[in-house]
Amino acid sequence: MKECYLGIDIGSISTKGVIIDERNNIITSSYIWTEGNPVNAVKKLVNILKKNLPKNYILKAVGTTGSARKLIGLMLNANIIKNEITAHAIGTLFYHPNVRTILEIGGQDSKIILIKNGIITNYAMNTLCAAGTGAFLSSQAKRLGIDVEDFGKYALKSKNPVKIAARCTVFAESDLVHKAQVGYPKEDIIAGLCKSIVLNYLNNVGKGKKIEPPIVFQGGVSKNEGVVKYFKEVLDEDIIVDKEGHLMGAIGIAILAKNNKTGNNYSLEVNNIKFETKAFECNHCSNNCELLRIFKNGRQIDSWGSKCGKY
Amino acid sequence: MDKIGLPRSLFYYYHGDIWKTFFSKLNIPYIISPNTNKEIMDRGLKVSNDEMCLALKNYLGHIDYLKDKCDYILIPRICNYKVNNQACTNFWAAYDIVNNLFDINILNYNIDLEKGESLKKGLYKIGRKLNKKPLEIRKAYKKAIYEYNLIKKKNTQINLNKLNSKKTKILIVSHPYNTYDSIIGSDIIKYLTNEGAEVIYSDKFDAEKTNKLSGKLSKNLYFKYSKESIGSIIYAMDKIDGIIFISSFPCAPDSLVNELVMRKIKKPHINIIIDNNSSFTGIETRLESFLDVLRGNIHV
Repeated sequence: MKECYLGIDIGSISTKGVIIDERNNIITSSYIWTEGNPVNAVKKLVNILKKNLPKNYILKAVGTTGSARKLIGLMLNANIIKNEITAHAIGTLFYHPNVRTILEIGGQDSKIILIKNGIITNYAMNTLCAAGTGAFLSSQAKRLGIDVEDFGKYALKSKNPVKIAARCTVFAESDLVHKAQVGYPKEDIIAGLCKSIVLNYLNNVGKGKKIEPPIVFQGGVSKNEGVVKYFKEVLDEDIIVDKEGHLMGAIGIAILAKNNKTGNNYSLEVNNIKFETKAFECNHCSNNCELLRIFKNGRQIDSWGSKCGKY
Repeated sequence: MDKIGLPRSLFYYYHGDIWKTFFSKLNIPYIISPNTNKEIMDRGLKVSNDEMCLALKNYLGHIDYLKDKCDYILIPRICNYKVNNQACTNFWAAYDIVNNLFDINILNYNIDLEKGESLKKGLYKIGRKLNKKPLEIRKAYKKAIYEYNLIKKKNTQINLNKLNSKKTKILIVSHPYNTYDSIIGSDIIKYLTNEGAEVIYSDKFDAEKTNKLSGKLSKNLYFKYSKESIGSIIYAMDKIDGIIFISSFPCAPDSLVNELVMRKIKKPHINIIIDNNSSFTGIETRLESFLDVLRGNIHV
């Protein structure tokens, strides 16, 4: 039997999973939509991975990252639960040991990670506002009646991108509506939108940071050729976009899980786990904590949000 | 006997210790609103308007909580501590805002050193208004200042000792009414402490020193409290591992000063802006990864 290690990255929009071997090579991977239900998404994901995993492998570690990392970590009994910044850096460093700058734009987060000699030296993340992230692109795609996956192709067709306010998405949206009503062609508007994402990112997240090559661009938005093109244009540097770019967080957390393995075996059998969460507001004092209680097979295994520790 | 209400927000974190001794010594009963909880914050959100910062909304919640529990509420107006040491405009305006929004009796004093209005003058005025004799007032004031200085000295010493700690040292650059408020900042402090970091506070240094030191980052700042917080960065720079800026949304002085400072300093830092989001998840991700960066112990 050969050992293998599972890494899962549960983002707001998509859920990514990989299984790697001793040498960090990907054995199998999957990428599905979270659809607002991380528990179901992970069950689906694990089933896909299980189907594709050769029978001679045995699972020795599980790691979770992404915004639902704590919940899913509990569900799968993960041996490591880590934030997505660290996970992304580790994943990227494995493929690009010389990387200096990682640009990442995801569903609701965007971040920049600066690396020197293989060590993270600084990073920044968007403030709690989701301006200039994937969520904004998908909502605008819906407005324009185009699949967000086709955005890049439309953007590349444009020769003359329209100017769109880059600071705030509310302003950007009203700019967008005006330009569309005035009669600008769709591809010019989409190209303008892609450019505004780049400018917004550099103004908001990248400000004051020295962006040095080699630069790797990741996250769901890196699949958009339009955004990649304008990053190249604005930064005047080559931008590396990996085929596996969307899996970097999952690979990183799988590597971390491998490095922290406990010696136990882990199971990919998730269909029988009854995993429930119940939310309620505790009214015992004026804090009115919003509590989330987590049940595994009918038994409460954890609860979050309590300020006093009563639950 | 008249009872004084002391809102545990904004000014409380600067003058609260003085108020408590002053009123105790004069035998005047007082009530302090509790640590901010959801109910108080909700009350504040209800009476405030959209352009106020979270800290001011919170302050109004404390006023609303106290309004039928006491006879007077103490609301100072802090304008300036001489030239180029202004307070934030909310510190000027709080008295008038409350006066317009609530039907309550207010005890007020002004701090406007450019015009000779000092804390001493203000508290003497309040003492007289509450029918206390000049000698009593003088004694109470002296005692209040004496004890306040003792507390300050002790806190400063604790803060300085932390600079020699072996743990990961993080300087929190933030206004005390945000740092120590149980809804705004204290979850962040709690998280960092639980994760084994040493937390050092920008407001617990010798304010005179930090005020002067701020000149090394910017010569023409005129906000007193901002000067002191960024002066602490210069003061502690060589001994700390990283800096976390915390501000409440939308803070005018912070949006200028923190931005300026972040471009000039070389230390790793993050900026956390708090509005009334009830979920801690987003903040936790930022704090956890920041600690990972500072500790630099993550490798492929």
